[in-house]
Amino acid sequence: MHKVLAIVRRELIAYFSSPLAYIVLTAFLLMQGCIFYLVVAFANEPGGPPNAPLHFFFGGFFFWLFLLFVVPAITMRLVAEERRSGTIEVLLTSPLSEGQVIAGKFVAALLFYLFLWLPTLVYVLILATYGEVDPGPVAAGYLGVALLGFLFLAVGVLMSTLSKNQLVAAILAFAALLFLFIVVIFDDPRFGSTIQAVASHMNVVDHMDSFKLGIVDTRHVVYFLSTGTFFLYLATKALEVKKWR
Amino acid sequence: MIEVEHLSKVYVDVPVVDDLTFFVPEGQVLGFLGPNGAGKTTAMRMITAFLPPTRGRVVVAGKDLDRDPVALRAQVGYLPENIPLYPEMRVDEYLRFRAEVEGVSRSDARKNLDYVIERCMLEEARGQIIGTLSKGYRQRVGLAGALIHRPPVLILDEPTVGLDPNQIIKIRELITELGKDHTVVLSTHILPEVEQVCERVFIIDRGRIVADGTPDDLRSAKGVRPAVLVELRDANDDGHSALADLPGVREVEDRGDGRFRVEHETGTDPRESIFRLAVERGWVLLEMSVAMTSLEDVFVRLTTQERPEPPAEPTEEE
Repeated sequence: MHKVLAIVRRELIAYFSSPLAYIVLTAFLLMQGCIFYLVVAFANEPGGPPNAPLHFFFGGFFFWLFLLFVVPAITMRLVAEERRSGTIEVLLTSPLSEGQVIAGKFVAALLFYLFLWLPTLVYVLILATYGEVDPGPVAAGYLGVALLGFLFLAVGVLMSTLSKNQLVAAILAFAALLFLFIVVIFDDPRFGSTIQAVASHMNVVDHMDSFKLGIVDTRHVVYFLSTGTFFLYLATKALEVKKWR
Repeated sequence: MIEVEHLSKVYVDVPVVDDLTFFVPEGQVLGFLGPNGAGKTTAMRMITAFLPPTRGRVVVAGKDLDRDPVALRAQVGYLPENIPLYPEMRVDEYLRFRAEVEGVSRSDARKNLDYVIERCMLEEARGQIIGTLSKGYRQRVGLAGALIHRPPVLILDEPTVGLDPNQIIKIRELITELGKDHTVVLSTHILPEVEQVCERVFIIDRGRIVADGTPDDLRSAKGVRPAVLVELRDANDDGHSALADLPGVREVEDRGDGRFRVEHETGTDPRESIFRLAVERGWVLLEMSVAMTSLEDVFVRLTTQERPEPPAEPTEEE
């Protein structure tokens, strides 16, 4: 555990000493600021649907678009860079298991991701100052964001172990996440009942939907956590095989 | 300290390391000498539990690679070729990270940090960012990282590659110093390095140990004959044949300008007869000395015996 924490700390140092982190952070906040403006403008319209602001903030088009870019940017470096520079050799000749390395890197990525979202709490505060905020749905929304991050970052970590090139890792992660996002098109009887059923279970948008409505359904919680863990397991196995190639 | 039995690594039917068996006692400084692609790095990566062997057994400081690779890793300090480091970290930050990852307790970490910084002469560079350091400093940071958990065994892959002559001398001195209280295995393709630093040498070629002994043993190994260097004036025409006819002489090499290299049987000394020959023929003997057989001769002889190109080690590219 102590060793995993050491890796987490090192990764966080690496994040905050690279310009990429600040670019992602700035772009993310700019984007969220725009969305917030839209949300407020939209919510001011008389006769708007209930829950509309949350719906938009935790699951609008821009929300997804942005996550599809931000997550690969966060994860691409994690393992790919270690393999490119050879530091993985130093790391894995220390008394560490591959699982500990993946765990440390993943936790660091998750912390960085949550850090990205942290400033958006200011919006909640602003809203609470000028109006009423229902804390339940907001908390559910943030829980959904965290769980979604868990799954997406796990996919990103896996893709980062598959290539020594950060750009390739990022593109692989983007493609995989995009697939999870558009898998909904297979949720159609024309593809046969099996494919339809699988696609409907895999559809992340569906799993996220209830959170943004303020509902915490354990099925979705389990979906995010189990699938994410599965991808982390794959990443560990991939690292065992790929580390010296 | 290090026991290796029938260690092999096969990449798609090509053995890169082929049935290595050896034992390194505690405190020995051992050199792996071999041409590029001989399998030195692959062998080291298996001994450090980075690369799983195809076959064979490795035991380091009582820890078996098969049974507990993580415990084995704790016994070994490893410096890979090209010293991979994290360029964005500061030196002490990096070393503290290495200590944590190696499982050094918090109370020992501080002590060990001071120890390796002193040992590797890194005082001035403590707070510097690794990416800004010179190659020589990076090498020392790498070594410090390998030493941070005070392992009984140090494995260094090409520790002097890419350094300038002054830095090379410093690193060699440091390795010699470390050899006093560590078991050290280092690889190199630079011969003088082995002669200076190592008590024992393996010459490795195509994944096999082709010679094993002290640098002196290897120099007197069979296949390399002693020789005398002679410089004569006025002996240009018949010098070669006259020298070749002397008793005990095997071969004479004419190096031009009256200089000859006279190879003779082990146990004979042709110097007296060369002197008498020169007197008899009226040649002037300008110089005569015993040629030092260098490891280079042994190395060349052992690693270039009519063989096809050795298989390349897997490259770093995908």
